[in-house]
Amino acid sequence: MALAALAALLVGVFVGGSPLGPKSVAWSLTHPHAGGDAGTIVWLLRVPRVAIAAVVGGALATAGFLLQGMLRNPLVDPFLTGVSAGAAAAIAIGVALGLGAAFLPAVGFVAGLGTALLVALLARRGSGIDAERLILAGVSLSALFSAFVALALTRLSHNGSDEILAWLAGSLAGRGWSELLATLPYVAAGLVAALLAVPSLNALRLGPSVARAVGVELARTQWQLLAAATFLTAAAVALSGIVGFVGLIVPHLARRIVGSDARYALPASVLLGVTFVALADAASRALIPPQEIPLGVLLAFVGVPSFLYLYLRPSGAARLWGT
Amino acid sequence: MSLRGVCLAAGARILLSDVDLSVRAGEFVAVVGPNGVGKSTLLRSIAGFARPLAGTIEIDGSDSGALSAHERAQRISLLGSDGEVPAGLSLREVAVTGRFARRPWWDWTRSDEDLRIAGAALERVDLGTAGERDFASLSSGERQRAWIALALAQEASTLLLDEPTSHLDARYALDILGLLRSLARGSTSVVAVLHDLNEAAAFADRVALLGEGRVLAYERPERALDPELLGRAYGVTFVRVAIEGEPRVFARAINPPRRQEGTLSDWQRARHDR
Repeated sequence: MALAALAALLVGVFVGGSPLGPKSVAWSLTHPHAGGDAGTIVWLLRVPRVAIAAVVGGALATAGFLLQGMLRNPLVDPFLTGVSAGAAAAIAIGVALGLGAAFLPAVGFVAGLGTALLVALLARRGSGIDAERLILAGVSLSALFSAFVALALTRLSHNGSDEILAWLAGSLAGRGWSELLATLPYVAAGLVAALLAVPSLNALRLGPSVARAVGVELARTQWQLLAAATFLTAAAVALSGIVGFVGLIVPHLARRIVGSDARYALPASVLLGVTFVALADAASRALIPPQEIPLGVLLAFVGVPSFLYLYLRPSGAARLWGT
Repeated sequence: MSLRGVCLAAGARILLSDVDLSVRAGEFVAVVGPNGVGKSTLLRSIAGFARPLAGTIEIDGSDSGALSAHERAQRISLLGSDGEVPAGLSLREVAVTGRFARRPWWDWTRSDEDLRIAGAALERVDLGTAGERDFASLSSGERQRAWIALALAQEASTLLLDEPTSHLDARYALDILGLLRSLARGSTSVVAVLHDLNEAAAFADRVALLGEGRVLAYERPERALDPELLGRAYGVTFVRVAIEGEPRVFARAINPPRRQEGTLSDWQRARHDR
C-alpha cells in the first residue's frame, strides 16, 4: 500500500500540462539545485502540487476514518461537521466583500473551524458529544451556510461567482509551497491526535458504553477525535476547496482490505487517501490538457460509482461497516 | 466496597434512597428486585457511570465517582445489559478489548500476556475454540458469554454484572454462575443482578432485595428470600418450598386465566370459512 502511494506520487510528478519528457523530470528530481526550466516546473509546480494532493488525500481519509469510528456510522464523511459549508460561506462572503484571493484559504480555514466548534457545542450532552445531535446540527448548519453560498452566487458578478465555483468544485490549481507550509502544522497536529486515539477507536468499535466500561475516557476521546478530524478537514479545505467522497470511501476501502482494527485501518486509510487524490489530481491535469478538470468533480465521477458498487452489490451493504 | 446513604434517581424520578450496602472481599452478592426498581442504575452508580444524588460509594477506599475511567476499569469491570452487536470483529478482538486499561490510553501495543489472558477468558466461558469467529455470527447466548469473557479479561477486583445469565440456556446459566461463584474469593468480589431468585438462592453469599424504593433486605439468601418480603417487593404471592433441604421460592399465579376450550378450532373454522 505504501508502494502504491509512492507510485501515485511519482505519477503525479511525471504528468502535467507542460510537455516535459520523463527523462528531464527524472533528472530534475535527482538534481534539485540544478535549476533550468525543467527544474523550475518540477520543483516549484509539480512537486508541491503532488505534495498538496497527498496531504489533502491523507487528511480527508483520516478525518473520515475518525468520524466514522467516533459516530459508529459508515455514512459519515468529514464534511458532516459543517467544516466545508462554513468555509464555503465565509469564502463566498469574502469574495463578495472583495477580499484578495491570497486571504481566502485562511478565511476558509478559520470559518471551517468555527463552524465545527459551533456544531460540536450544539451537539454537547453532559461533558461528551451525542452522535445524533452532532449529525443533526452538522446537517442543519451546512444547509444554512449553503444558502449563503447560493445567495452570493446569484448576486455576484461573473468574476466573483467563478472564484466561488472554483472552490466548490475542489481544485489544486495554483497552489504551491507557501499554502502547503501554512497548513502543515494543523495537519501534523491532527494526525498526531488521530494516532494517539487508535486504541480508543478500537475499543469504541464495541459501542460507547462498553468502551467506557473498559476504561475509555469517553468525553475526552470524543473531543479529541472531533478536534483532530476538524483540523485535518479544515486544512484540506483551505488547500483544495471541497474535494468530496475521499473521506467517505477511502476508510471503507481501507477497512475492507485490512480489517477494522484501527492499528492497521488508520495507516491504510492515510496511504489510500494519498494514492487516491494524487492519482486523481494527475488525471485532472492529464486528461484534457492544457485545461484542468476540477479535482472534486473528477473524484465524484470516479468515487460515486465505486461507492455504489461497494454498497449495492449483493452482500455489499452487510459487509460495508465490517471487514 | 461500600455504599452509605446512597440515593439514586433516573431523570427526575427517585429510584432508591438510603442504600447502605457493603460487599466484602471474596463475597458474591446477588441483587434482585422487580423491573424498574433501580438494579441496573445501582450497578452503574457503583461503577461510577451514574452519579448518586446523595451518599458515598467507595471502592477499595476511594470514591468511585472521583476515579478516572481508566483507573476505574482497572478495579471494576461492568457487564452492562445494553451490549451492542459490533460487526466485523472476531471474538478474540472483543475479549482483548478488556485489556484496554492495562496500559496508557495512547499505547498501540498488545502484549502476549494480553492475548493469553483474553484467550483464557474465552476458554472459561467455553468459547476457547471460537476466537476467530465473527462476533456478529454468534447466537445471543454465545454473545452473552463473550461479553462475560471481556469482563473477565479486565481482571478487576470488583465484578459488576447486570443479568449475566440472560440468553443463557440451563447448562450455561449454571456454568456461568458456578464460574462467578469460584471467582468470588480472595480479594475479588462479585455483584450480579439476577432475575431468577433461585439462582440467587443457590449461588449467592448474600442477597440484596430491592423494592418499595429501598433495600428491603440484605442478608443470606434463606433470610432475604422471604415470601412476605418478596410479596412486598414484587406485588405477587410467593411460596417457599424446600428442595433437597435447600430453600426455593416461586411466584404463585392466583386465579390464572384458564385456557379456553375450542378457541383454536373456532379460529381455524373462521379462517376456513373465509
